[in-house]
Amino acid sequence: MSRKRALISDAFNLKKRRNGTEQFGATAAEDGPADIKSSLEYLMTLFPRKLFNDALPQIVLKHQLYSLHSDKTLVDKEVNKMRERGDLLMFQLGFDAEAFGLVFTSDYKAKVLAGEEGKTTRATVERFLEKVVSACTDLSFTKDKMLKEFLFTDSEITQLVKSGVLTVRDAGSWWLSIPNSGKFTKYFIKGRKAVLSMVKKSKYGEVLKAEIEERRTNSQVKFHMKYHIHDIVGAELVESIPTTSGTLLRSVDS
Amino acid sequence: MLGFLTARRAGLDDPLRLRRAESTRRVLGLQLNPDRDVDRIHGNGINTIDIEAVEGRYMLSGGADGVIVIYDLENFSGKLQYSCKAVCTVGRSSRYVHKFSVETVQWYPYDTGMFVSSSFDKTMKVWDTETLKPAEVFQFEGNVYCHHLSPIARKHSLIAVGTTNPKIQLCDLKSGSRIHILQGHRAEVLSVRWSPRYEHILATASADSKVKVWDVRRASGSLFTLDQHNGDKSKASSEAVNTAHNGRVNGLCFTGDGLYLLTTGTDDRMRLWNSATGENTLVNYGKVCNESRKRLQFTVSRGCSPEFVFVPCGSSVAVYTLHTGELVTMLRGHYNSVDCCEFHPDYQEVYSGGKDCNILAWVPVLRPSDVEEDSDHEVKGAAGQSSVNPAFQDAWSSDED
Repeated sequence: MSRKRALISDAFNLKKRRNGTEQFGATAAEDGPADIKSSLEYLMTLFPRKLFNDALPQIVLKHQLYSLHSDKTLVDKEVNKMRERGDLLMFQLGFDAEAFGLVFTSDYKAKVLAGEEGKTTRATVERFLEKVVSACTDLSFTKDKMLKEFLFTDSEITQLVKSGVLTVRDAGSWWLSIPNSGKFTKYFIKGRKAVLSMVKKSKYGEVLKAEIEERRTNSQVKFHMKYHIHDIVGAELVESIPTTSGTLLRSVDS
Repeated sequence: MLGFLTARRAGLDDPLRLRRAESTRRVLGLQLNPDRDVDRIHGNGINTIDIEAVEGRYMLSGGADGVIVIYDLENFSGKLQYSCKAVCTVGRSSRYVHKFSVETVQWYPYDTGMFVSSSFDKTMKVWDTETLKPAEVFQFEGNVYCHHLSPIARKHSLIAVGTTNPKIQLCDLKSGSRIHILQGHRAEVLSVRWSPRYEHILATASADSKVKVWDVRRASGSLFTLDQHNGDKSKASSEAVNTAHNGRVNGLCFTGDGLYLLTTGTDDRMRLWNSATGENTLVNYGKVCNESRKRLQFTVSRGCSPEFVFVPCGSSVAVYTLHTGELVTMLRGHYNSVDCCEFHPDYQEVYSGGKDCNILAWVPVLRPSDVEEDSDHEVKGAAGQSSVNPAFQDAWSSDED
């Protein structure tokens, strides 16, 4: 949309820098919507596939994107657009009401079908993937919906739960889920706690982002350090402060 | 800025545009000003402040010790250094003072002859400003968390009161009656707010995570309940149906035009709602720290474009752009947690009060006279206040002193 007149707040940028534009170590990507996809792909590369013997698709958390882009509303809108298009799937991961996992649809389908090789539940799962996952963007399904709209029988629903594609939410409704993701959740929570305590135990409770990324990960942290850093910055579990020597992460007392 | 002024003079631009541009510039430059001070009268934390709507001259504040103070904000002294004096106080020595902490104070919307205060001593008092005696006292069964008088009401003079009782009481100022009750919440009502657009629309927020919008003329119940997922039942656990937040909702604020409603909750989120349809606009403000067990008083700017929200966040005031959710700045200056803040629309100033017994005034920084290289498009403030009269310039003392 081209603006004929400039935005009022742009005319009075009181924070303008006098001598050129020096970004003090900030890595903010101030670009448009196309870059949400590339940030997603970048974050996906940080996911350790070997750890799970390649059985899990690459999972990224939605708030990790907030650490890469400053406008959260724009990120949300883009993610929703990608979900409507069918490229991206969102899952409620269960350990936090606001932690949503994002997986590329193609990845998810490939891994689920690979996991179902040779099992009796394969046909049902395939049908589920085709009909439900491709068609609607919900995070959870009620019994009503499954029976009437998608025409699955009770025993088929049981098979889907057994195969891990559905997880129980409460009586009569299920979350869409990633099979074998329990291990992921466990390692993720342990790693997040470990990284947070690393920041907390540092002198003054703060540490430079570049420094903590270089630190040796202890046995609790199974993922790439950067994966966890994006997570804690995006979820605002630490304060991210731009300084002249780079971004500083300060633990929040709460 | 010169561009705006020229366009205004030539008639190319609407006069409102220049006013909005200047207001926005001033809000973006808010800072703690060493020249502006507010008298320190309260001995305990300040829970609530209100600036009168008529002239914007007098400010009321209510404290945790039950004391109510009225300040004069106008600076008639001609000097830059100004301390807002307390005009009068309802102190601990007054016979009619509240016994426990005052939670909400509000000026009568049409003149400063009257104000209403409500407190944890389960009463709401309507005071006569001249004599500082209560003209009317309403008794309640539970602690009163908040009350609000409609700022635009012509046909009614109802005060909506939120107490620990889930029923919202409407007290009539004219007759003193309190028979009108709004039922629907299941836990204590932490905040009530009348819409500044329609005099019969009331929004209420409660500890049961729900925000309900009512039309007080209707007998049958709330118009709608705000739902954070906009009807998409699949997003969260099924107990979260029709909740505005995942925790207690303790702050409500309408925007100046009444078209949007902001709510804050103890789930550390702030949400923007379309007040006509109740739809969550899904603007993501990020984590807005909120640990208040009582009402949180926050405010939205008026007359700027884009509008800004000033919300107390721990011991500072966070300033967000209303529709994009971007954090503009954090106003730091309080020593302890901030409980309330209020925007002065005529001067684009923000007053905030907190547990450290201080009321701080955040004043727009006047643009200082500029360095020589950058003189092209700079402006010396709307009335050239920062340029020094050459007759007073020091032309003979040497720089080496």
